Amino acid sequence: MRVTVNRDTCCGSGLCVVAVPQVFGHDDETVVVVNEPEPPAALADLVREAARRCPTGTIRLLDDE
Amino acid sequence: MSTEEPIPYPFPRPGALDVPAELRALRDRPVIPVVLPSGDRAVLVTRYEDVRSVLTDPAVSRNLNRPDAARMTSNNKMFQDEKMDPDPPEHTRVRRLVMKAFTATMVENLRPKVQEIVDELVTKMENGPCPADVSEAVAFPLSIRVICDLLGVPTEDQDRFRGWTDRFLSTGKYSGPEIGAAMAEINAYMGQLIETRRAHPRDDLISALTQVHEDDDTRLSEYELHWWCRLLLLVGYETTASQIGYMVAKVLAHPDQLARLRADLSLVPLAVEEVLRWKLLNGSLSMLRYVTEDIEVGGVTVSKGTSIIPAVESANWDENVFSCPHEFDVARADNHHLTFSVGPHFCIGASLARSELQIVLETLLRRFPDLRLAVPVNELGRSEGTLIGGLLQVPVEW
Ligand code: HEM
Ligand code: SF4
Repeated sequence: MRVTVNRDTCCGSGLCVVAVPQVFGHDDETVVVVNEPEPPAALADLVREAARRCPTGTIRLLDDE
Repeated sequence: MSTEEPIPYPFPRPGALDVPAELRALRDRPVIPVVLPSGDRAVLVTRYEDVRSVLTDPAVSRNLNRPDAARMTSNNKMFQDEKMDPDPPEHTRVRRLVMKAFTATMVENLRPKVQEIVDELVTKMENGPCPADVSEAVAFPLSIRVICDLLGVPTEDQDRFRGWTDRFLSTGKYSGPEIGAAMAEINAYMGQLIETRRAHPRDDLISALTQVHEDDDTRLSEYELHWWCRLLLLVGYETTASQIGYMVAKVLAHPDQLARLRADLSLVPLAVEEVLRWKLLNGSLSMLRYVTEDIEVGGVTVSKGTSIIPAVESANWDENVFSCPHEFDVARADNHHLTFSVGPHFCIGASLARSELQIVLETLLRRFPDLRLAVPVNELGRSEGTLIGGLLQVPVEW
């Protein structure tokens, strides 16, 4: 899985940061940053749920198949 | 469709805890013509996926300062100000500065403090007369203290700002001049507070924002600073307080669900999401938008220049998304309700409100093994002519 974000749309809710701190963080303007663009398989479900819950559709996932 | 007789919106509530009957058949059609309290016309978007897409569509604007845009009410401009651009990217830029104080991480760190306040208020309620009104004993004092602490507004001033909030959120309760006078008073009050904090900064959001402004005045104008500080105070507690009152009444009114919760307090966060899905706000009037380019909504074309309301309370009841939506289920899974909106205006206080709701519910259930409503459900009254429409009182005994 590859994680990308659109920093222009992020509204800074921080929901993803709390849900999967290993993968998502905030810069000092509370815009999302991806700390781990290729998260381990063990985190995949959490990351998918975070993407679904993101209120702005900022998080995009590319599944490796 | 434009020739069809529009139905009045928001819909009347059948009972204090129930949702309007109109909502049940609403989703047969994706778009419905409505008439607002102002007498102006708009269309209502009814289905979950369409509500989501309208709220995130760049061709749908929150800027209602246009000659042909519908007004919510005839005498209250609510969230509109011709000097503020409420659309991205301008809105997003300013919002980010404010959001620092309200991210989910900040709110996690605040939890012990919120718990401390709740414990103190609940103890006071327990030692006072029984029955008690949860709304005035816990909900309002809690949410006022939390937002005041965060912003740096003295809680002693609440007798004044509660009156202003009441007028700010009026959809018919107050006259235009009454609303205007209250807005002038809060402008003056906030202006003075900002000057005090600028001169003697403390550890609070208003102080922090005055420093941003000082550091680089291209980033937060004086006008924006004042506007946001007022907004945060005016929308930062009554929403949460009313939702807390509604939550307590709703849970106590469903003994089977109450028993499930008591048996497993780890369900509290899910129960809070379910209470939020039932949504307290009087419809979605305040989410009024304006269409800037023709768009498709559920296969129907909505033309440029139409005023449009994404009906969150209808989306939250969409049977294609929620199983048995009219059941109140404290353990509902996959509850992706839209009560805090989505997109660029996603509620800034969502994490804060959630944590206050969770802590209050958990604490009340833990501290009072026999908490119950002190009046029959049909005697609970809602405040009328206001955007939020919370319960007037939530009398409980234990
Ligand atoms: C249960 C309580 C609450 C509910 C149901 C609620 C609901 C909402 C909704 C639906 C919106 C979006 C409106 C739209 O899209 O047009 C919103 C925006 C907003 N909320 Fe809340 N809210 C709550 C609590 C709070 C609190 C505690 C604060 C204090 C920080 C707050 C501050 C705001 C602000 C500043 C906005 C405007 C955001 C923007 O336009 O970008 N809310 N709220
Ligand atoms: S959940 Fe979405 S909007 Fe919120 S911080 Fe993460 S990426 Fe940004």
